Amino acid sequence: MSQVRVLGELAVLDDVGPARRGRAYPAAGATSALLLPAAVLLGGLVLWPVLRTMHASVTTDGRWVGPAHFQTALAAPGTGAVVGRTVLWALLVPAVVTALGYLLAAASRRSQEGGLVRLILLVPVALPLVVTGVTFRLMYDPDPSRGLATLVATRLAGRSVEDAPQLLGPGMVTVALMSAFVWAWVGLAVLVFRSALDAVPPSLADAVRAYGGTRRHVLWDAQWRPLLLRTTAVVFALVAVGTSRTFDLILVMTPGSVRDEASVLALRIWQTSGGTTTGEGAALGVVWLVAVIGGIMVAALFVRQAWPPPRVEAAPEPAPVAPPRRVFRLLAAGAAIAWLVPLAVLVATSAHGRVDAAARGWWSAPPNGESYRDLVTGTELWRTLGFTLLLATAVTATVLVVALLAASSSSPVACVVPIQVIAGPVNEVLGLVLSSGTAQGLALVHIALGVPFAVLVLRNAFADLPVEQVRDARLGGRRWWHTLRRLARHNLSAVVAVSVLEFVQVWNDLVVGRLFGGPGSSPLGPFLAEQTRSFVSNSGALAASSVLASVLPVVLVVLSRRHLVAGLVSGGVR
Amino acid sequence: MTPAARVSRRTLLRAAATGATALAAGCSGGTRSVQVAVVWSTSELDRFREVVAGYPAPVQVISAGNDIDAFLRARHLAGTSPDVAILPRPGLVTEYAQRGWLSPVRASTEYAVPAGLGELLTAQGQRYGVWVKAAHKSLVWHLPSMLPVQPANWDALVRRTRELGALARCDGGPAPLAIGAADGWVLTDWFENVLADVAPESYNALARPDADWQGRPVREALDRLAGLWSINGAFVGGGRRALLTQYEESVIQVVHTKRAVMLVGADFTADVADPFQRGPEAPVTFRFPGAQPGGGPLIVGGDAAVAFADARGGVELVEWLTRADSFQPWLRDGGYLSPNTNVAIGSYRDRVGQGLAEEMRTPGTLRFDLSDQLPGAFTGSDGVGIWRIMQGFFADVTDGVRASEAIRRATGLLAAAARNAGGGR
Repeated sequence: MSQVRVLGELAVLDDVGPARRGRAYPAAGATSALLLPAAVLLGGLVLWPVLRTMHASVTTDGRWVGPAHFQTALAAPGTGAVVGRTVLWALLVPAVVTALGYLLAAASRRSQEGGLVRLILLVPVALPLVVTGVTFRLMYDPDPSRGLATLVATRLAGRSVEDAPQLLGPGMVTVALMSAFVWAWVGLAVLVFRSALDAVPPSLADAVRAYGGTRRHVLWDAQWRPLLLRTTAVVFALVAVGTSRTFDLILVMTPGSVRDEASVLALRIWQTSGGTTTGEGAALGVVWLVAVIGGIMVAALFVRQAWPPPRVEAAPEPAPVAPPRRVFRLLAAGAAIAWLVPLAVLVATSAHGRVDAAARGWWSAPPNGESYRDLVTGTELWRTLGFTLLLATAVTATVLVVALLAASSSSPVACVVPIQVIAGPVNEVLGLVLSSGTAQGLALVHIALGVPFAVLVLRNAFADLPVEQVRDARLGGRRWWHTLRRLARHNLSAVVAVSVLEFVQVWNDLVVGRLFGGPGSSPLGPFLAEQTRSFVSNSGALAASSVLASVLPVVLVVLSRRHLVAGLVSGGVR
Repeated sequence: MTPAARVSRRTLLRAAATGATALAAGCSGGTRSVQVAVVWSTSELDRFREVVAGYPAPVQVISAGNDIDAFLRARHLAGTSPDVAILPRPGLVTEYAQRGWLSPVRASTEYAVPAGLGELLTAQGQRYGVWVKAAHKSLVWHLPSMLPVQPANWDALVRRTRELGALARCDGGPAPLAIGAADGWVLTDWFENVLADVAPESYNALARPDADWQGRPVREALDRLAGLWSINGAFVGGGRRALLTQYEESVIQVVHTKRAVMLVGADFTADVADPFQRGPEAPVTFRFPGAQPGGGPLIVGGDAAVAFADARGGVELVEWLTRADSFQPWLRDGGYLSPNTNVAIGSYRDRVGQGLAEEMRTPGTLRFDLSDQLPGAFTGSDGVGIWRIMQGFFADVTDGVRASEAIRRATGLLAAAARNAGGGR
């Protein structure tokens, strides 16, 4: 089993199936030196901090205290609710995302507008989660004269403006957060399911039909059992682990007074410990780690029980199958429109100046470019964008080199550590190399977190190369980097996928920047999140900077989506 | 990890460290400037840069934002503390001093602060910090046209709130009060103002480790607050809506949309209100009312400058900051209130600033922001500590829970939070 991060998440990509024929791990065993950079990074910035956190959870100032910290942390008021909410997130949200993802993938197949629908669904995947939070907070603004969703809910419930339902209030806030998360993640599920559906040989369905199978039999025997069970397990686990990212959404979307009602373990640990390690924070962190690993093992069980899937390359061009029924096509179109609304709200709000955006709804004042003008003429946003671009480029390049080195020789690595859990020890390690609170420190942490994912994807890609190509590359390359270059050339899709995902991951990050950034090294995520401290009075500028911050990741993901599918998702489905 | 691997890891770390140091040295150029970490950002940061431009040696100002505590801890771990830091809470000054991070500082002969403030920055009889910026937290803001007669004392405020609340309920007029209850510090500022009036002699004791949070003074202050907050129609959209309203939105409700008449807020409310002002009518203030007519207590907040233990030129810069004329550029630009009573009243730009500076000199009951003095997590942030407890209390009393029950819950939580933070009984 191996776990990697996809789009910034810790995710499970299944690698447990029966050994594939023709696998040739290039240079296996021969060059452990190539592993050194990855090993140093992971050892120093992941493994050691995890051990340190485990140690801190049972000691006070180096003294053994047994389970005392666990008892205190779990007995603290509200901890039960926090744990319950975390579990709810990890079960309910993946179920919804998986179901919606399958439905929309099936509904948008083989119809002309399907490509457009999938494109629309893909945009939220590329957005920084901070921007998603900003967008939904604009929609759920408690004032019906500003918040579109609040206005609609008020009308539907037939209430007066004074008695508007409060979507961000204590009762509804978790539902509001979940809706934002589902919006952001369904596109990814659709992407995975679509390539899984495309990989089902149509002959299988024909065979079932030939034996008199009904539509249900086709679904069960020709889709679910051979492939979809496995894919569903993968998507479910991917989203479940991804829910650890709710941290970003909670920080951006919830006003201080309802933060407790929305709190999950990630937030509780951050509130208890901040950037240091305290006994109680460490205890909660260990609980979380154990839960995440347990969940992944359960998911892996399902994956293991599924059939070995057919090779994707073997799938012929889809035979002309009838497009989905009309009701499904309508469903797809409806979803596309629903998914566009939040984007439209964000853009519309950004087209208003500070006063208009704060005092009335975007629909009741004519648009102007005031917020953009202020931003573009100022220096702060440019500096932040420039720094983030530099950081993301440097991290991506380094991760690629380190991972190419490691992937050409390594076995799979496991990494499922939410960074909040190990923030304190990581800071200590960074202090050792004099780079805490600096750009170098920030980059180091990003690299350490990015390498496992990159290694896994690249390694799978290398493993799929024909033996002769690998041998040619090794014989033809005079130096190891010549070999790497030749290998990379044969694996363009995987290299592109890794580069784009790593770049987007760093660009969209909030947590790492928040925990390890400092003056002069403040990337986009913390820059945007900081402005939500006075959300309403800043909403014009905040929406405008969110739009500007989203352009690059969206363009990258949309342009490279075929490579992403080829380089990453096919590996994930298998 | 094998010993060999450990050695190579260490070598690598060291190599990386050398590289980083070389890079840093390359950036800073020839003479080393004094490095100051501040909490301010945007316009306040620019103003402070103008201030230190007047210092004879080069000064590098870095903004650490609101998480300055985490930033300084990380820098301390890394051994790269700045020379000087400007901290938002006196609790941090004494905490750092006790850990031995700070160097004692001197103040210039022109430095004088109101009684009771200087002691907050001392530890073991040594002065470890000086006040460089003050905030006046006992103001009620309104537009003159919306409130022709200002309430003279607490009872008048309650009466006025009742009248306006009744009007608002029957003909949809403006609510009497706007309150940014989504930001916990807004509520603690209310509480401190009332507490300092109810029990001026017990106020400071609550900051000490043996504080009694279930005693009579706290209960009386909460009771007085409950009396006002529970008035039907007191807040724009009601209590639940107020808990989702951030401070800056509450300012907009008073100066722009005019959905509320009054707002309790510090002197910096003027800066927030400025871009949202409609027409020529600017908001004005009156002092947060006490039980007696003629102004209640004065709650001040402030930022303090400290020098780190192995700083170069830090102590000298801190001393320079205490001179009466150092902050002249910021005074000229406005939005700055000096804690130094030797700063000439005439150097404030406008009448409002001059009035506030006068009040700082004749304070009557002057108290320092209590929540800023509380230990550990009790000091409060979003969803944590006294901020959260006051929000719970606000939710209770605006939701019809009986005052006595709400007070019992709140004092119980306050006492528990104080105990957990290492203080309280």
